[in-house]
Amino acid sequence: MAKQDQRVADILRSLQERAKELNCLYRVEEITSNEDCSLDEVLNGVIEVIPPGWQYPDICAACIRINDTVHASSNFDKSIWSQSAKIKVYGEPIGTIEVVYTEKMPQVDEGPFLKEERKLLETIADRIGSCITHRRLLETMQGMQGSDRTTPRRGREWGAILDLLRRTDQSLLMRVARKMINHLCWSGVRDAERLLQRFGPQQRIDEPDVFLESNQPRQKNASPSATALADEVFDLAAASLSDDEIISCVHKWIKQDRASFLVNTLENYHTAISEVADAIQRYQHAGHGEVELSHSTRKGLLVALVRRFLSDQLEYINVAKNYVEIKDFHQLIRRLIYPARGHGKTGGKGAGLFLAYQIVQTHKDEDKFLAEIKTPKTWYLTSDGMHDFVYCNHLEDVFSQKYKEIDEVRQEYPDIVQVFKNSQFSATIVKGLSLALDDLGDKPLIVRSSSLLEDRFGAAFSGKYKSLFLANRGSKQERLDALMDAIAEVYASTFGPDPIQYRAERNLLDFQEGMGVLIQEVVGTRVGDYYLPAFAGVAFSHNEFRWSPRIKREDGLVRLVPGLGTRAVDRLGDDYPVLVSPGQPGLRANATPEEVMRYAPRFIDVINLNTNKFETIGVREFLQSAGDELPAAEMLVSVYEENHLRPPLMGSVNFERDDLVVTFEGLLNRTPFVKQMHALLNLLKREVKHPVDIEFASDGKDLYLLQCRAQAPAKSTRPAPIPRDISHQRLIFSANRYVSNGIVPNITHIVYVDPEQYGQLATREKMLAVGRAVGRLNKLLPKRQFILMGPGRWGSRGDIRLGVSVTYSDINNTAMLVEIARRTGDYTPDVSFGTHFFQDLVESEIRYLPLYPDDDDTEFNHIFLTRSPNLLAEIAPEFAELADTIKVIDVPQTANGSVLYVLMNADLDEAVGVLSEPTSPDQYPADVEKSAITHEGADWRWRTRMAESIAAKLDPVRFGIKGLYLIGSTKNATAGPASDIDLIAHFVGTDEQRRDLERWFEGWSLSLAEINFFKSGYRTEGLLDVHFITDEDVARGSSYAVKIGAVTDAARPLKLSEADST
Amino acid sequence: MTNRPFNAFAMAQGQFDKIADSLSLDQATKDLLRNPIREYHFALPVRMDDGSYKVFQGYRVQHNDARGPAKGGIRFHPQETVDTVRALSMWMTWKCAVADLPLGGGKGGVICDPHNLSLNEQQNICRAYVRQIVRDIGPIRDVPAPDVMTTGQHMLWMVDEYEKINGGHYPGAITGKPVGMGGSLGRTEATGFGLVFALREALKELDIRPQDTTACVQGFGNVAQYAVELYEQIGGTVVAVSCWDQEAQKPHTFRKKDGINITELRGITDRFGGISKSKAAELGYEVLPGEAWIEQDVDILMPCALENSVTESNVVDVSKRVKIIAEGANGPTTPEADHVLRERGVFVIPDFLANAGGVTCSYLEQVQSNMNYFWEKDEVLGKLDVMMTSAFVAVSEMARKRNLYMRDAAYTIAIARVAQACKDRGWV
Repeated sequence: MAKQDQRVADILRSLQERAKELNCLYRVEEITSNEDCSLDEVLNGVIEVIPPGWQYPDICAACIRINDTVHASSNFDKSIWSQSAKIKVYGEPIGTIEVVYTEKMPQVDEGPFLKEERKLLETIADRIGSCITHRRLLETMQGMQGSDRTTPRRGREWGAILDLLRRTDQSLLMRVARKMINHLCWSGVRDAERLLQRFGPQQRIDEPDVFLESNQPRQKNASPSATALADEVFDLAAASLSDDEIISCVHKWIKQDRASFLVNTLENYHTAISEVADAIQRYQHAGHGEVELSHSTRKGLLVALVRRFLSDQLEYINVAKNYVEIKDFHQLIRRLIYPARGHGKTGGKGAGLFLAYQIVQTHKDEDKFLAEIKTPKTWYLTSDGMHDFVYCNHLEDVFSQKYKEIDEVRQEYPDIVQVFKNSQFSATIVKGLSLALDDLGDKPLIVRSSSLLEDRFGAAFSGKYKSLFLANRGSKQERLDALMDAIAEVYASTFGPDPIQYRAERNLLDFQEGMGVLIQEVVGTRVGDYYLPAFAGVAFSHNEFRWSPRIKREDGLVRLVPGLGTRAVDRLGDDYPVLVSPGQPGLRANATPEEVMRYAPRFIDVINLNTNKFETIGVREFLQSAGDELPAAEMLVSVYEENHLRPPLMGSVNFERDDLVVTFEGLLNRTPFVKQMHALLNLLKREVKHPVDIEFASDGKDLYLLQCRAQAPAKSTRPAPIPRDISHQRLIFSANRYVSNGIVPNITHIVYVDPEQYGQLATREKMLAVGRAVGRLNKLLPKRQFILMGPGRWGSRGDIRLGVSVTYSDINNTAMLVEIARRTGDYTPDVSFGTHFFQDLVESEIRYLPLYPDDDDTEFNHIFLTRSPNLLAEIAPEFAELADTIKVIDVPQTANGSVLYVLMNADLDEAVGVLSEPTSPDQYPADVEKSAITHEGADWRWRTRMAESIAAKLDPVRFGIKGLYLIGSTKNATAGPASDIDLIAHFVGTDEQRRDLERWFEGWSLSLAEINFFKSGYRTEGLLDVHFITDEDVARGSSYAVKIGAVTDAARPLKLSEADST
Repeated sequence: MTNRPFNAFAMAQGQFDKIADSLSLDQATKDLLRNPIREYHFALPVRMDDGSYKVFQGYRVQHNDARGPAKGGIRFHPQETVDTVRALSMWMTWKCAVADLPLGGGKGGVICDPHNLSLNEQQNICRAYVRQIVRDIGPIRDVPAPDVMTTGQHMLWMVDEYEKINGGHYPGAITGKPVGMGGSLGRTEATGFGLVFALREALKELDIRPQDTTACVQGFGNVAQYAVELYEQIGGTVVAVSCWDQEAQKPHTFRKKDGINITELRGITDRFGGISKSKAAELGYEVLPGEAWIEQDVDILMPCALENSVTESNVVDVSKRVKIIAEGANGPTTPEADHVLRERGVFVIPDFLANAGGVTCSYLEQVQSNMNYFWEKDEVLGKLDVMMTSAFVAVSEMARKRNLYMRDAAYTIAIARVAQACKDRGWV
């Protein structure tokens, strides 16, 4: 019997943990049934067992007043959060029982109390009433046997549980009964099937049946018959199963049922975030450990939470569900700001960072380098915050902005920004932001856009939406105003021309834009008036710009800068981040001290705490004045003295006096930074099953992860599909070594320096002349519409047989640099990988490709490259004698209007240069940048139209004009958004006419520039570039007159005004 | 156009042959000087960071050491050839001889690309190189120095390996070491100052007072800045300097007709000799196109930037007033332009004399290293002055006496000195 009692106690103990109400009630039963105790003892006992039965035991207190006696918990005090029930004897109230919370808790059914708790309280009051009645009866009828003590059902221990359920939670009883009947069916109990059929219609006890299968109203199933059915089920169970089995089943099902309220809340699409948040909080507070949930329930819950708060993308959910716990969401909602009745999500950036951090946390024990990675404190404003803002201020019109013409969008954008900045946030949001500021303190903040579109796979919205820095200084109100101002600006950026154009190009316009916002503290420290991280940057799983054949694509790439990471994110052209490949940290892009210094960061981005502004300052000056204060500054620099560049010993730098170069030598060689980055990139890539792109920063002590998203290749670095059935005539070259990703489209000219001929040049002077000729061609040929192909190493100095001696300025307009490594004897020379100006190539996005024509399985169309008509003598007559060595090929002229595409695919390690029609989509590699091409076409089309209108309106007599011609990119249909309209004016008038004409053109030029700005966003000082020529020029064919009637690239005459009477 | 590929060594031999003929050298001397006296080709097995081994090809060529230990750099170059090294070693012989240094000429190289090597791997190459050649280099045999893609750091690794093997300190085994580790002070100034020491002597010879002269300098890097500084000190006025504008990707010339101020300009110049265009304009400098430096109406031109800056096409722009061109850069004048200047009677201080300040300073570093006693900067520069002056005087005397163009005189004197040493030693 003792054993049996023990079993009951076991069950009760487990119920005490998981089913506190039931346990409480049972204890009450136990206490009140103990006839050996006095009534005082009974009541004190009841007081003790009540708090554990309520949701928040720690702050729960109870009090029983009967007539004049009071029994209360030690911590009992009057409270506004209380519930009470009357204690009746023979139907007359003789006292009350009251339960209070001493602190405020989330609202549920009855203040902070659950409806089950109300029931429980009443049951307890009832029980106490019965107990007192019983005792009074005993007192008056001494010797009489009382019999109202509840006997456990049919004497079996699990019966006690069912009885309790019947009293407190019938719906749970029914759910358990239903599970039992299912269980019995699966166990092959025949009678169970019959019962199951009866069960069917009754399963929804609490809800009206919505399925009307017949036209007849369905009979209502009353609860009593339901409990009777439950009794039948358990009778059947008792007959078929052992007590142990029944106990363990009931035990398990009750456990699983504990999370049902959370599941219900989440599965209901109508519940607002606030309700979900409350449910999570309640779940957490109630002390449910997740381990107790069944695997499937837990997964279901997590997926629902991920979908609700983070992302509904399947790829994302698939990964995230393995990494998040319910408690993580509990953390998340504490820093979540959302509109009342909101349904929004954190947005792409928020979701990416949240997941990355969870992954790192989960795996931190695997790799000691991961353990120390942190994320900055972040608050999330959900994506529907923007809609709330728009509706709140009646700005709904903006949502149709995206369907306007792009020039209209551009024109109206500044107004939208102002309107947004002058609009109000709803009270809920303001309250949320205010809380956020209290939590974040007065550290500088970054307000990052976190759009639902942003960071979706395949669409890199990198930099399209705003991210703003805030110094976050001043009074609370000032800080709050500045924060709201910044958020309004981020919201407005959704309606800016750049993102709209970008979305239009990708068919994403109709996607309903939601813009979440991340409010993140800026990692860093205060140094003088400035606030900045010691260093920051971006890192990529895949290195698309490799500077050595020893670096594999998977070795990754880190772009490091001192100060804020903005300078590493953007390609600046005139400043350089330090590049490191974490898989090959020893191999640096810059080998000699000259290169290292040339490509060292020169500026640093900081937040000025005095002016509350984001600023860019010179890094040398900054280090000179404040290097001593910047944490880890010695890790960032090398000292240059007497032609020697050396990393300093710790404590040996004299910031004021030493000549310092930012090299990050200390950081890279003496700290685990590189290993940390490598581990981080590898881990994230492995776990999200996609290469990633992360942003990071360090305050000099810890490394912080700021952002993580799928590494979506930029437009120019997307892997190109390689067509398999290219005819020999169309294939110019192919490559299968060291290929990066990308497409170089619409190449109209090829400059080919014949390696063999170049090698045969007799003098160094001739070789240098080749370099000069290339420099000249670089200025003459249309920018980014030609490629340079040449032997070995472009940019050789000294022994220039290795490659053409050019500087970056001689090649800066090319779209691509191709290095050809021809085998000589049994030896294939190395190519340079563009190392002489590698970082310039990277920052200008000039692509690089090495060719090994002697390799098997590669094509090299020697005939096309050497036998095509050579324009060199025509466009650069001064270099005509180099025509054997330098071939300038007009691709459309030579190939019947086709242009060259270079398609590169690093995944396959293959690249091809193919001739293709620029306008014919079926010949153009499928699904690549189609829209971009039509867009590019738009630029030359309207320019041509405008040139024609100018001519049509140009009065030849008034201005002394004999002819007007169109040349350059507009004529060649290659004009891009930044292109000029190049005109040749054949002028024969007087000086005065010339002045008038120039003014006339200037008017056009400025107007066209304005139109172009609205269309493209490119600001130019004027759009016309007019070249004047005279009769003499025409006669001598000098100056631009050479273009008129030229064999190739001839100027196109434009029809002048009808007033032409000459 | 010939079908014979351009070959640096063949070119160097051609140049030598021309002078040798004018000196009427005997065949044996010619044969000796046309080719290196010793060549070492060796394999360098090197352990890479990933644990694998790779074998690199190394060279050391000693062209001639009749006048003293061979001297010359070690280059790391991916397409190094022995012919390039031979040519460069020969040029080193003449360069040391024209400066009248007691040194011969040598050169070395390794076929490798530092862009593809970690520093650790480069260190392994340096040490492997020394292990292979240790018996044939050293303070009294052959003294390497940094060159293309090698730095003071590489030299330190090499000297350390040399000293480890020989069990002693031999800082004089290698030059170009960092200051404080066996390097010499004054190295930064040496080439620019040396240029002006020679210029000063040229003015003396032409009987022109420096304070009566104006000059224009192409470039504003290390050499140009120190040349301007010293030239101003001796009384001259620089009216314009040109430099590369990294942002605009083209050069500019900055002019102030009453003389530029070197201190002021240095204050607005970046590490690479790029002068800030806007700040210069604020300071009252005219900003002219890059090519304008050559057209200035001055007495002296100092091309201190790039090779082939004075060409057939722009030599006609050189003002009639220009009397001296001091070649601070390597090969700033193309042969065609050189011919025009010679015709016009412009006094050209040829590059390998004019910029001998660098190699002279290397020599002084070696001397100090051998003594293990290091001079103050003034002492180094003082000695440099004396040596540059006497080198110049010897060349110009030769030019005057034998009515030679300065460039030819410099070659002649260099080759004659080496030939003489070989004969005196009884080699030929």
